[in-house]
Amino acid sequence: MIEVRGFMKAYAGRTLFAGFDSTFERGKSTVITGKSGSGKSTLLRILNRLERQDEGTLRIGDLEIPANLPHAEWRRRAHALRRRVGMVFQGYHLFPHLDVLQNVTLAPVRAFGVDPRIAEQRGLELLSAVGMDGARDRRPARLSGGESQRVAIARALATEPEALLLDEPTSALDPRSTEDVVRVIEGLRAKGLTLVIVTHHQELARRLGDRVVEVGAVGDSGSLHRL
Amino acid sequence: MRQLSALLLGATLVTAQSAPGVDANRLPSRYVERATVRWASDAEGGAPFVFADPADPSREVGFEVDLAAAMADDLGVRFERVQTPWENLVQALDRGDCDVAINGLEPTPERRRIARFTRPYYVFMQQLVVREDSAIRALDDCSGLRVGCLGQSVSHTELLRRGGVEPVVYTESARSFLEVENGRNAAVLCDLPIAVAQLKLFPRLRAAGEPFGRDYYAIAVRLDERDLQLALDASVARLWHNGSLERIYRKWSMHNEAQGEIGALSQSGGEHGQVGDAPITDKESRTGSELGLLLAAAAKTIGISCGAFAIAVALGLALALARQFGPRPVRWLVICYVEAFRGTPVLVQLLFLYYGLGQWEALQMPAWLAGVIGLGLNYAAYESEVYRGAISAIPRGQTEAASALGLSGAETLRFVVLPQALRLSLPASTNDFVALFKDSAVVMVISVVELGKQYQMLASATGRFVPLGLLTCALYLAMSVPLAWLARRLERSLDGDKA
Repeated sequence: MIEVRGFMKAYAGRTLFAGFDSTFERGKSTVITGKSGSGKSTLLRILNRLERQDEGTLRIGDLEIPANLPHAEWRRRAHALRRRVGMVFQGYHLFPHLDVLQNVTLAPVRAFGVDPRIAEQRGLELLSAVGMDGARDRRPARLSGGESQRVAIARALATEPEALLLDEPTSALDPRSTEDVVRVIEGLRAKGLTLVIVTHHQELARRLGDRVVEVGAVGDSGSLHRL
Repeated sequence: MRQLSALLLGATLVTAQSAPGVDANRLPSRYVERATVRWASDAEGGAPFVFADPADPSREVGFEVDLAAAMADDLGVRFERVQTPWENLVQALDRGDCDVAINGLEPTPERRRIARFTRPYYVFMQQLVVREDSAIRALDDCSGLRVGCLGQSVSHTELLRRGGVEPVVYTESARSFLEVENGRNAAVLCDLPIAVAQLKLFPRLRAAGEPFGRDYYAIAVRLDERDLQLALDASVARLWHNGSLERIYRKWSMHNEAQGEIGALSQSGGEHGQVGDAPITDKESRTGSELGLLLAAAAKTIGISCGAFAIAVALGLALALARQFGPRPVRWLVICYVEAFRGTPVLVQLLFLYYGLGQWEALQMPAWLAGVIGLGLNYAAYESEVYRGAISAIPRGQTEAASALGLSGAETLRFVVLPQALRLSLPASTNDFVALFKDSAVVMVISVVELGKQYQMLASATGRFVPLGLLTCALYLAMSVPLAWLARRLERSLDGDKA
């Protein structure tokens, strides 16, 4: 369970959201929608500690991360949090110098100390689950957008996170690739993984979310409206 | 002795007889009209020939400066000095950069192929110089030891002829003496006048054994300017007779009994000499041994370049990381390092490293090692900028993705950023490596005979600039072309799928 209390974030002199509370329940899928520039991606990035909130507290299980922590402590806790929360980016951000399987096994082997053979076995299972097991030796440059995103999902799952954050996972994809990726996400949802998905697609929001939160930052006061 | 008889013939007698219509005592009219004779010499060669006055370095002094002045007086024209590297004096003459070369030149068969020589103006012998505390008494005691000499000098030839010692070649006398004083070389073999002049500057050195051999300094003129040679012959004879030469010898502590020969030459009579046309005796092909020498020098170039580049890569990477991620004072130190090494000539850095720091015993090192370290430190500055640029070019998404996966900062750097940055830097880095192969020739200033220097020495000695130059270029290409090919292969393998 991820809990957000009293979140405020200002960006370039503009308040994106203020006094925002939300609870992302275990095993549920939450979709965050909103117009461009509304702060929905920023919210997701804060959840994965790629950015800091200006006010408020983030809690995941027993790990609490308030705003205004000293930098070293913030980094320590952020590192601990990232080991429990996976992230999938709009632009995939696969590692171009590694092949597909190495992309998936890098974090388990290098950051989590998993035995390489076990990590490889698990990596192949994950690639199979996203329909990419035939591409283990290919470099990311040779993958289509949909293939890249499915590898990125397998990569994020390889560290066995408690929750998966997806930032516009299909917005760069053509309809067919979008369908492939959406099916993979539906599979994760069916298995009971906690999901937080940012998208501006209303149809996708209805299809993938147990709950939809719309971020509507308008004007100076900009607040996060809950539906 | 053949040399001597040719000289005697050639130098004789200039005073009385002359070719029809030409007054051998007078300068050719083209010089009289110009009222100037350009004389080439190398002030780097040091005392006593031509050198900067220690009391007033803007003034050039030396025994040949005085000789040129005396000849100028005698001939009624101005003698204007042209600075030319000693190894290339006769070539500069041949090309017309100057009219005569007066700089302790011996009329060797090689030089006489390119230039014509006047009667000798000085008789000199060879002198071995060692450290005061050395047990060496003669050249025979130097077996297996390093002995310094000037490149392409009589001393150099003598060391090569004797074998058994390891000749270390210099372009400047003072350095060859310095290297004996600091213990890098066992001894230095040089012309007696050099020994006399330099021993005054190096009190911890002494002459070992008696001077030996007998050779001559003469003035070189172009092959087709026999009239100029005759005029200069006559002038030298007049200066001998009126005592000017002896005054000059005495002023520079160069006078000895051997100089009587100069006078004997000017007493004799006979035909006008044909020194410039003297038979060339060493015609046998030396291409085989030249190739061997160039190959050995190329191996040295490869060793120095590879060693230096290994340092440049390792240190450059450390500098780039320190500049990118280090605390502010460290970043400033790196910036200072990069600017200092990039902003000053590598030549100056090498001289400083080898001769400057070499004054302290703890910092002394062999010349090749100083070359490797000096070039390595210099290129590290360039490499660090290449790597820094490549690291900054890695998109932020890559580090964010790595962070999101739970990699620490160090793990992100090692497994995500650096592998990509090194791939990005490969073309620029290869470029630098190829440049280093060529730039490594600069280590010749600290007496390392690598490919460039070996070429210079062989070409100057034989005058075969073109064939040896093509051969040398081919050797450089044989190093750089495979290197570029390997780099392209590495790039492709880093880019490609394994499948």
